Amino acid sequence: MNADNNNWWSRLYAKYGLSGPAAIVLLVFFLLVPLLPGKFWTIVSTEILILGLFAMSFNLLYGYMGQISFGHAAFFGLGAYATAMAFTRLKTAGGEIATLDFFLSLLAGPPIAALGALIVGFFCVRLTGIYFAMLSLAFGELLFYIVFSWYSFTKGDDGIQGLLPPPYFQDAAHYYYLTLAIVIGALAVMWRITESPFGYIMRTLRDNQRRAAFLGINVRLHMLVNFVIAGAFAGLAGALWGPFSRSVSPGLLGWQESGIAVFMTLIGGAGSFMGPLLGSVIYTFLQAVVTMFTSYWPLTIGTIILLIVLFLPGGVLGMVEKGIKARRGAGAGEEKQP
Amino acid sequence: MDLSAFLIQLFSGLSRAMVLFLLSAGLSLIFGVMNILNFAHATLWLVGGYVTYSMFEFLGGQFGASPWMLLPAIAGATAAMAAAGFLLERYLIRRTYGRDLPEQLLLTFALVLIIGDLIKLVWGVENRRISLGIEPIEMLDTFVNPYHFVIIATGVAVAFGLWFFLHRTRFGKIVRAAVYSRNMVSALGIPIPMIYSGVFALGVGLAAFAGGVFLPLLPMSLGVDHDIIVQCFAVVVIGGFGSMLGTFVAAVIVGVVYSFSILFWPDGALAMVFLIVILVLIWRPWGLFGTEMRY
Repeated sequence: MNADNNNWWSRLYAKYGLSGPAAIVLLVFFLLVPLLPGKFWTIVSTEILILGLFAMSFNLLYGYMGQISFGHAAFFGLGAYATAMAFTRLKTAGGEIATLDFFLSLLAGPPIAALGALIVGFFCVRLTGIYFAMLSLAFGELLFYIVFSWYSFTKGDDGIQGLLPPPYFQDAAHYYYLTLAIVIGALAVMWRITESPFGYIMRTLRDNQRRAAFLGINVRLHMLVNFVIAGAFAGLAGALWGPFSRSVSPGLLGWQESGIAVFMTLIGGAGSFMGPLLGSVIYTFLQAVVTMFTSYWPLTIGTIILLIVLFLPGGVLGMVEKGIKARRGAGAGEEKQP
Repeated sequence: MDLSAFLIQLFSGLSRAMVLFLLSAGLSLIFGVMNILNFAHATLWLVGGYVTYSMFEFLGGQFGASPWMLLPAIAGATAAMAAAGFLLERYLIRRTYGRDLPEQLLLTFALVLIIGDLIKLVWGVENRRISLGIEPIEMLDTFVNPYHFVIIATGVAVAFGLWFFLHRTRFGKIVRAAVYSRNMVSALGIPIPMIYSGVFALGVGLAAFAGGVFLPLLPMSLGVDHDIIVQCFAVVVIGGFGSMLGTFVAAVIVGVVYSFSILFWPDGALAMVFLIVILVLIWRPWGLFGTEMRY
């Protein structure tokens, strides 16, 4: 890539920031994956997409609104459980599900997650910073233990098994393309939201809540709306998770799962729209490779995160952004900052 | 519920409360002074327990097995872990001061994963516990492990010791002042970096001490730190960041509520704890005994 401002790559960068080139690179990557021999990388890539969508929904709260939620997995899990329960009720005694019923069960996820986010968010948006994080963590843990202990309704610790998608989508590549299509659609909607006046109000709330309030912005209402949107997208990711892994379990709601979204976002770069998805590519891909050789995956990812925090603040995309700025010289060109 | 069942739940709840207090006290001090929420605190507690175990085994091998060997083992583990905490602050945690909250959380979260796996490397996956061979004593038609009393007494003693330290000694007063205003303390010519390392060492030492004291009652096993740390967060939030009295009261509330609700709703006992956290955060985000200024 040269610094010539007239080539299409530079124009793309000028218009969409790093997210433009990153989106194209990722799209090419995701389209080429099923061509690889064997099903393994297709399955890994499906996981990358689902968790990436989850991490991007988290970044609506963190990167755009400036609040860190440690209970975001609750909505991922709620979506997964809503879909799993609809799925279980719609499938026949033989364990098969009609294609239409399958899509209906996927649709159950986001609204239930959004409803949960509405209730949790109503209280969370009254707080900021560490208190926001703690309250979201407490709500997440409360929901986790409710799902964990309400055996008659949620099957508790056993989870819900047997979420076998319709025959056509049992093929790893077909389910992968379905996930890819849904995730691309979801990202398009998210991009539209973050680039709308509403999205810019979120950035204002992140940078200076008090000033936003003085400008006449209803701070809590806007935060709540964003919280519900983020919850709905997390629910969509959760809905895709159940039929992908053929089961759901209470762990999907736990704080460690929320931590994964935080990891991915900070690895990829919270300052970029595509950052969390890139983070998911790195995290999930590494996990797939590292667990082939050693069971000490936490040690590996922990060390990577430690190094990123110490030497790479801003994540991978943040570093690339810095590199480009350094090459062009400070102040050259308008940077698209989310 | 008859009196004997009540007593058993009360004692186990109070001993649980003491461990939560010893952990949360350090957590709360570290947060109060350095504004760092240490996710790895319970993991360091776990390491303290494992180190105590190894020292106990080693001392037993050298000088003949005796329950009293637990005392030097705890002392040794506490000192070793306090020193480790000192170094951890000096060479790692210190680099994140002035960074954003999420990055600090992430660093300590990374430590949870790293240290957790290191424990697995060093001590393997089996649970470790110490059996002191204490006979349960009879009380009101039921049997109670007298070690509960040891734990409760130790917890209360440490609470008083901490209070004395924070209110009656020079270093303690500096620490309390640093909770309110680091700049002012620094302006008075007190070396703040030394205070930071000292407080972190104290917190980790307390955690390791708790791990050792609890060893005869609760086996150390991989992954318990993940459960304990969120309960410690619950205690600190309920009591109020930076308040020792609040931390103590909240630890008792969480411990007792947990051990009584486990009778009625075994799997959901912690749900009750988090319900209290939610109510407190909604009603008084700065905690029961905290001051509003930090909110």
